[in-house]
Parts: sequence; structure tokens; C-alpha cells
Amino acid sequence: MRLSFQEELDRLEAHLQEEADLVLRSLRGALKALETQDAELADEVIAFDDEVDDRYLAIGQGIEQLLARQTPVAIDLRLVLAVLHINLGLERCADLCVTISKLTKLSADLPQDEALLEAFEEMGSRAEEMTRVAMRSFAERDLAGAESLVVLDELIDRANRRVVERILDLGPNPELREWGLRMIVVSRCLERIGDHAVDIGEQTAYLVTGEFREFTDASRPDQHH
Amino acid sequence: MSVIPGNLSPASRRSLWIGRVFQGFLWLSLAIGFVMLGALLVQVFKEGYKWVDAVLFFEPPSTDPLIAGAEPAILATIYLGILLLLFTVPLGVGTAIYLEEYANRERWYNRLLEVNIQNLAAVPSIVYGILGLAFLVRGIGLGRVLLAGAMILTLLVLPTVIIAAREAIRAVPGTIRDGAYALGATKWQVVWRQVLPAATPGIATGSILALSRGLGETAPLLLVGALTYVAFNPTVLGEFTALPVQIYQWIARPQEEFRTLAASAIIVLLGILLTLNAFAIWLRNRYERRW
Amino acid sequence: MSVKMTDVSVNLAEREQRLPPKEFREVVFDVKDLGVSYNGNPALQGVSLEVYRNFVTAFIGPSGCGKSTFIRCFNHMNDLIPGAKVEGKILYHGEDLYGAHVDPVEVRKRIGMVFQKPNPFPKSIYDNVAFGPRVLGMDDALDDRVEKALTQAALWDEVKGRLKASALSLSGGQQQRLCIARCLAVEPEVILMDEPASALDPIATTRIEDLMHELKREYTIVVVTHNMQQAARVADMTAFFSVTRAGEGERVGLLVEYDSTTKIFTQPSDKRTEDYVTGRFG
Repeated sequence: MRLSFQEELDRLEAHLQEEADLVLRSLRGALKALETQDAELADEVIAFDDEVDDRYLAIGQGIEQLLARQTPVAIDLRLVLAVLHINLGLERCADLCVTISKLTKLSADLPQDEALLEAFEEMGSRAEEMTRVAMRSFAERDLAGAESLVVLDELIDRANRRVVERILDLGPNPELREWGLRMIVVSRCLERIGDHAVDIGEQTAYLVTGEFREFTDASRPDQHH
Repeated sequence: MSVIPGNLSPASRRSLWIGRVFQGFLWLSLAIGFVMLGALLVQVFKEGYKWVDAVLFFEPPSTDPLIAGAEPAILATIYLGILLLLFTVPLGVGTAIYLEEYANRERWYNRLLEVNIQNLAAVPSIVYGILGLAFLVRGIGLGRVLLAGAMILTLLVLPTVIIAAREAIRAVPGTIRDGAYALGATKWQVVWRQVLPAATPGIATGSILALSRGLGETAPLLLVGALTYVAFNPTVLGEFTALPVQIYQWIARPQEEFRTLAASAIIVLLGILLTLNAFAIWLRNRYERRW
Repeated sequence: MSVKMTDVSVNLAEREQRLPPKEFREVVFDVKDLGVSYNGNPALQGVSLEVYRNFVTAFIGPSGCGKSTFIRCFNHMNDLIPGAKVEGKILYHGEDLYGAHVDPVEVRKRIGMVFQKPNPFPKSIYDNVAFGPRVLGMDDALDDRVEKALTQAALWDEVKGRLKASALSLSGGQQQRLCIARCLAVEPEVILMDEPASALDPIATTRIEDLMHELKREYTIVVVTHNMQQAARVADMTAFFSVTRAGEGERVGLLVEYDSTTKIFTQPSDKRTEDYVTGRFG
């Protein structure tokens, strides 16, 4: 029953997963460009953001049409609203990748710190993994998988704090210090991508349980699930 | 008078009693009708049941009541019935179809037709007899024959059949017609394949009731020439008598036995009519449509 | 049904709805300035629109706006109402439906209709579906025709064991699908539906809507509905009708807006349309 409606929902979700794939490609490209100081690759990543924006708009229209024409309720409504939130989050992730690439280009001629670059590779991989886990948990409606993201996010947060400490210890070289300042933003971007992945997990929990709650509350840092 | 919640017994005893009196009055009306009818029937049966036998059915009338029978009259009544059906059903149904499906109500001649049919149903039967005498027996020279009797009875009951057929056709919902038209049926196909089949039970019931009325008529038959003494079996174009006429003739005789004979003939006539009516009611109940 | 993604001027709503762009659509009905009056009183005026092949086109609007009157123009059903007069033109594949030599019976062979209240004939299920082919002289392989029609109407599995049973023994939803099968048996090109689900419960309604979705692959469907959510769900194009006051103050229906369904329900061009779909009308 209501086959065409079900098809439309499935199509919407499929588009969302495609958008997520694009975001992951963007992230991988930005990390590589950062690691190898590849300005051309950085430019490609920046240009690639247009594709993600196209998807973002298309999914937005799809949501609008679905709500107007099919009046979804209950789990269908939660699905559409979850797609709405995740769509927003993915677009922001893509923008964060653009920021990383822009910073890569700006700091092309500056000296680098190997240890920090390694740390970024690790943080980046973690952010990638979190995004994959989040999208897979969403597709499979896996509540446990979604909740596991909190633990992974904690690791990125710690890495972020270590990066900041390291940057403070970079020494007196003004060019190195400039590089360090820019890299703080890069670190922040990666940490934000991790946060967005947690948001996706929260949307999965909302979809499954009908309850919208934050996994961790800043005012109650000890609360873990 | 305010309403007290919780007190559900009747508010006024007066309206209760008025209700009871009214109901009693209705019962009384029913009783009067039934009692009178019942008394008539009981009397007829008491008088005549002994002589409802083979003699009655298979012997011609005679001046001797002991060997008199009503065979010619019974046969004539049966022939009249068959002819009546053959004539009234096509004519009546045809007219009804025309009026319901084809006629434009705005036209003056159709309106005239409508009014006339209603009026004709109320004309006294003797007038039909005079009509038959003037136009059929004398006018076109048919003579005083069974066919003339059948034709005049047709005219008598035709308005009833038309009205019954119209009701049956009208009872077929317009949605059935719409559905048939929408499939590409022509008007003729809609009427023949949907409306008529659906209206058939009503038409059949109405026709049978009209038939039973026609078979009980005496006056028009007398005027058209039903002889009061017929000792031979009737033919369509021959002279004839009918059961009601035969009864009338026997009652007029002075001998006591003829009254008894009349009573037994009445029982036969009643038997025929009640059977027809019961059949009509059975038909109606069996095939009644709930739209 | 390929959509040209590079054509920027194409209505965004139509793109999202995956409708073929206008050049790829085949026009089945071209209505030009149509008006209907009953005994001199205008009921509908000045309607112009195109109905496309293999589309579901819905007519919505408040009661009295003439949408039922309008749909009945397509198959000459207004001819059955004394005093009804149709002005203007409806071109069916280029031919004027109200031209001088047009036979309503021929029109109805190609343009079938399903009514608001299911109206099965008081006959068996088989005879209901077979009626159309029989009266139109299509009575070869009648059994196959009946089976095909009932299958297309998603009713075959439920009735195949009792084709001789009375049609009136079916439930309301089944009766309506029987009426659809009856219509399909004569192999029309267009199916008109005048509020086909308004007398049915929600589950039966959903089945009819799914059926419309299936049938539009082979047929062109025009549906009148007073339930605008239904139009939102099933229709590719939606026409919104409303009432206005004519010269002497009498109510007359008119076409307000006709566009892709997504456009009507997300961003209607006319305020009256928006008032109606948001439920603020009247």
C-alpha cells in the first residue's frame, strides 16, 4: 500500500546517503591536501563543494514536496525530519572541509610540524570513521551503533586538546607560530565534523525511539550512555 | 415543567392514556374490517363447500341444480385471464417505458397523457362496459364474443398496470442508468438490458394484481354480451359467459340449491383470485430489491 | 521519462516531481473557454486547460465550484440532464467533442467513468464486467476480457472463485473496484473518476489511490475530489476551481489555477489557491 510514497521515502534516504558519500570524499581530499601540501587538490575540494550544495538543495526540495503531498505521520514524519537535520549537518561538514582546504592553501609556504600533521591524519581518520558509522547506523536504524559515537567523539575531543597544547609549545619562530594558529582552526574543524556525526547519531535515536535528546549535555559532562 | 435528572418514569400519565386510547381505536378499525370480511367468508364456505366437486368443474350448467356445473364459466375465466395478460402486459409496460424513459415532461401531450391515465384508473367498470358495447360489439362489429370481453377488461385494468409498471421503472435508481450510459450503451440498450430486467419483479406483481381485479369484474362483461346461460364450452370468437356472471345468474334463480351452487362457484372464484394474489405477494417478497 | 536536468527554465517543482517537461507531453484534451449552464443559469465559465496523456489530473475546489459539472463534459454525461448546455470547445486529440456529428456513444466508448457511489448493476460479478463488451459488440473471448479487467482493477484474486455471485454481495471498496473493472473492460483511453473514494473507508481509499497510480501507466486519468490531500497524493497536475458571483449575483464556477501538484501545494501562484489548500478558505 502507498507504494509510490514508500518509493519517494526510499529515494530521499538514498540521496542522503549519496550526499554523505560525497562529504566523505571531500574530507579524504582535504586531509590528503593538508598532509601533502597539495594546493591543486585543495582547489578541487573547494570546487567539489558545489556538488554537495546541489544535493543539499535537491534533498531540501524533496523534503518539502514529501511533506506537502504525502502528509507523513509517525515514523514517516520522524524519518523526514531526521533527513532534514542530517542534510543540514552534512552540508556543514562539506563547508568545514572547504575551510580546511582554504587554510591548507593559505599556509602553503609556511613551515610545518610533523607531529601535528600526524595528529591531524589520526583525527581526520577518526572523523571519517565516525561519519561512516553514523550514516550506517542511520541506514540500519541501529540505536547501539548511534550511541557508540559518543565514545569515539570523546577521542577526537582529547586529540583536539592535545593539538592545542602542542601548538602552544611550538616555539618562537613567527612563521611556525602563524602556521600553528591556522592549524588550530583546522583542528577545530575536524572536531566539529565529529560533533556533526554525533548529531546524526542523535537523529537516529530520535527516529527509532521518538524521543529527541542530546547524547551528552555540556552542563553534565559525566553523563554517558 | 423542569426535568429532574435521575427520575426516568413517564412525566405525564395523560399522554400515556391518550396513546393507549389511540392504539385501541386502531385495533377497532382493524377488527371491524376483519370481522365483516370473516363473516362473509365463513358464510360462503359453510354454504358451498359441499358442492365444490368434479361436477362443478366439469359439467355445463343446467336447469337441474344437481347436475349443473360451471365448466364453461371456469374455462372462459381462464381464457379471459390469458388474453388479459397477453394484451395488458405489452401495452402497459410499453406505455410505462415511453412515459418514464422517452417522454419529455414539458410537452403538453405527455402531460395530458399523464393526467388521463390517473383518471382512467378511477372510472367505474360499467362505463367500460358501455364503451365496449358501443365500439367493439357494435361499432366494429366484433359481436358479443370472448375477445370483446378480453379487450374491454384490458382497457379496464390497463391504467393499473401502467401505474404499477411506472413505479417499478422509477424505482430503478438513476445511478444504474448512468453507469450503463457511461459504458457506451444506447438508450435502447439501457432500457432493455438494465431498466426492464431490474423492474421485472415490480411489473410482474402489478400485472398479476391487475389481472386478479379484472377476473372479478361482472358489469362490463354483462354489457359486452356475457350470456347468462351458456351450456357449451367457449371459444375466443364465440359467445361466452364468465364465472362472476355465472354466479350472478345462479343467485337470481328461485331454487335454494342454486344459491348453494352459487356459493360453491364463489369459493372457486375466490380460490383463483386468492391464489393469484398470493403468487404476486410471493413474487414481490422473493425478488424485492433493496437499493 | 527522462528529465532534462540542464534546462534551468523548467519549473523547479516539476523537476522535483519528475514530470516530463512540456515538450514531451501528449495532449489528450484541450479545453478552450468552456462554459456550462443549466436552464440558462451559468454553472461554470471560461475554463481553459490541457489534460496530458498518462497523467493523473485532479480537479479540486469547494462545493458548487462546478468540478463535477466539468468532468461530466468530457464524456457527454451532461447530455442526460435536461436543460444542460455546453459552450466552448473540448478538443479530444484535436477533434471537437461537441462538434455537430459527434455521437455520445462513440465518445463514451473511449472515455469511461467511475462514479462517487459505487453503482454495480444488480447482476452477477461476471455480468457486470461483461456488460460493456456485450453492448459494444466486443463479445469475443469474453472470459479473457473479464479476467483481464478484474486483474487490472486488483480484484481478480478476491472474486475469481465466485464470478456468478451477485455484485451486491461485495463490500463497498470491492464494489468500486468492480465498477473500475467494468470501465476497463471496454478498453477506454481515458478514465474519468468523480470522487471515486468519497464513499469508502480509509483502507479502501488507499487501495483505489494505489490503483490510480498503477493504471496511469496505460490510461489517462482525470479525477474530481473534495479531499485535497488525496489530490496531493495521487495527482500529477492539479486544477483548482472556485466560485465567484456572476452578473446578477448568482454563483458560478471558474478555474483559478492549474499547475503541477507540487507547485499547487508548496507555492501556489494565486492567493485563492493558497487560502483553499491551507484550509483558510471560506
